[in-house]
Amino acid sequence: MNRMLRVFAVLVVAGVAFGTQSWAGDIKGKVTAQGMKSSENIVVYVDAVAGKKFDAPADHVVVDQKKMTFVPHVSVVQQGATVDFLNSDPVGHNVYWPSISGNKKLAHNMGTWPQGQKKPFQFMDLGAASLLCNVHPEMSGYVVVVPTPYFAVTDKDGNYTIKNVPPGHYTILTWSEEGKPTTQAVDVTAATTTLDITVKK
Amino acid sequence: MKRAATNLVVGAVLLVFGSFLWMLASTPSADAIPAFSRKYQTSCSTCHSNYPELNDFGEAFKKNGFKFPKDDDQFVKEPPVLLGAKAQKEAFPKALYPGEIPGSIPIGFRYSGNFNWNAKQPAPLQAAGFTPQTDLFVPNTLTIIGAGSFGQNFAFWIDDDLSAAGTGAGGGLGDGYLRYNDLGHVFKLPKNSLNVRFGQFELDLPFSQARTIYPSAYDIYGETAVAQPAPAAGQTVFQTTNNPFIMGTPQRGIEFGGYPNNGNFTWSVALVDGTNSNYGLGQSIFARNTKDVYIRVSQKFNLERDAASRNDVQAAGPTGPRDHTSIRVGGFYYAGTNELNYGGSQFGFLGVISEPFYRAGGDIRFKYRNLELFGLGMVGHDNNHSVDTTAMTISTAPAVTFTGGFAGANYWVYPWLIGYMRYDFVNSPTDFANGVSQYRTRNRFSPGFQILVRANIKVIGEYQYHWGMPYTDPITNNTLYFRPNAFVGGIDYVF
Repeated sequence: MNRMLRVFAVLVVAGVAFGTQSWAGDIKGKVTAQGMKSSENIVVYVDAVAGKKFDAPADHVVVDQKKMTFVPHVSVVQQGATVDFLNSDPVGHNVYWPSISGNKKLAHNMGTWPQGQKKPFQFMDLGAASLLCNVHPEMSGYVVVVPTPYFAVTDKDGNYTIKNVPPGHYTILTWSEEGKPTTQAVDVTAATTTLDITVKK
Repeated sequence: MKRAATNLVVGAVLLVFGSFLWMLASTPSADAIPAFSRKYQTSCSTCHSNYPELNDFGEAFKKNGFKFPKDDDQFVKEPPVLLGAKAQKEAFPKALYPGEIPGSIPIGFRYSGNFNWNAKQPAPLQAAGFTPQTDLFVPNTLTIIGAGSFGQNFAFWIDDDLSAAGTGAGGGLGDGYLRYNDLGHVFKLPKNSLNVRFGQFELDLPFSQARTIYPSAYDIYGETAVAQPAPAAGQTVFQTTNNPFIMGTPQRGIEFGGYPNNGNFTWSVALVDGTNSNYGLGQSIFARNTKDVYIRVSQKFNLERDAASRNDVQAAGPTGPRDHTSIRVGGFYYAGTNELNYGGSQFGFLGVISEPFYRAGGDIRFKYRNLELFGLGMVGHDNNHSVDTTAMTISTAPAVTFTGGFAGANYWVYPWLIGYMRYDFVNSPTDFANGVSQYRTRNRFSPGFQILVRANIKVIGEYQYHWGMPYTDPITNNTLYFRPNAFVGGIDYVF
């Protein structure tokens, strides 16, 4: 009896997964940066969906400190995700952010830890955390916390792809280091939806 | 008129203060800085908590021959030019041993200029040497700095004041040396326990004068031993000691030294030219047949509780790496011989007069979080002679001695705002007898602040409360005293 139930459960999960897969679409496009050095590292994401709640992802995201730089320079995570801050350098570093999107009450200092070790932090607040190191002020990185699991970061040519977005009407937002935020509406169908965006400084 | 001058000073102070606020109000960014900054693409603050003073990482960097303490190659963003493939080591001695030079010319510049406000001098002192009440941007110094490494073991440093005191006035070479690091590996000694450097360098002083953060020199480092003022006409009995040696000036020579025990113990022995003076003329001669010796040892006691943090280059603080909590104690000794009367230039009936002298002292430094306390004590002793030109005799005279030192504290209110105070004292019976000071001990108290407007731009301010200087009232003939107190404000930047 138990075995039958388990088989049934697996079939249901597989069916749901298959169904979701078959109905989900991608949002693709190119971001053009106006008045900015580059269109790389611009975050494109789907804004909160009314009545829809997303569970925090179990997988951790890693931000490394390597050769005195944050790698990657921009990380985007879903609200509630945990970021593991790794120190790969043989020099002392720390990670702190003086605010999240300007809210200084959300400032946090992670302290110091040695080479090869990592320290986790769960980001519960939406916005961009500007990562800094207090002994190497030239180091800079960002963790951008977004409300949905549908997001992407542009490549060096400004291209992005947000995968597996269920069909529906959404608001697409952008975040970038230098540019102003943009908002655009999009209707996603089962096919790939193309959305080109312009971000101005 | 006096009111107008006062208004001018107040206006100038407000203008300077306003400029500080303007500079502080704009967004900080740390980029444009000298050779190492460019090589590693990192900020000054990696090595300096308040340049030019080194933090723990900067000390380790310097001790390692201007290289990162671990995995230097990983961090170099500007690759060096190889003067031979590394594999040529195997071909040695049939090939040149491979070396390297920095990828671009490792040059930096430093400018410093001070605004001085001086207490109003009494008229008799003005006649002897006028000091204006306000003096803008003096000294006005541009320094060129070149430093780096020539591969695995060689490090070099050159700094030269291109212009000191403004208007292109001649400066001079500060340090210019080549250092071979870790010579001890030949004898299988621990890393960096035996190094050697050649050239001109500041002695391994407990607190560097050349790379001090303060606008005024340490008084005790500048103390010279002078038995009597310039001889008066008709004088027939003279005391001879007139030793221009001061601890703070760079010396030419060879130095052996090392920092075993993770850099906590340091030692150095230097053989240097020393300096000399022609008696009574105040003219210095920068070489002689005898050589001076300088010895220094120090031990740093690392007080960090966590072993991993204690053994690392910097301590792991709750909000980021910082200097270790530590106490450093040390001692130093300088022995030399001052030689006078070459070729009978002063006293024709005498040969060369040799006057051995020494300087000895101890020092302590304590670091805890944002606070640094420090102190140094020193004694000076110069053999002295009495020459009677009538009887044509020379005899031993009481030695010229002095004691003194300094103590102080630095506190980082913020990483960019440092407050400090320093107390300097010099006790010299001879200076007192020669009318240099009101009391045997000359005291100076100097509170100040420094603002790092950027990592490479600094604004400083220091008030100096001086000892009393005696002078004679020309009308009453009474001895009066004047304190040449001063406020020094300044700007300092490197690029």
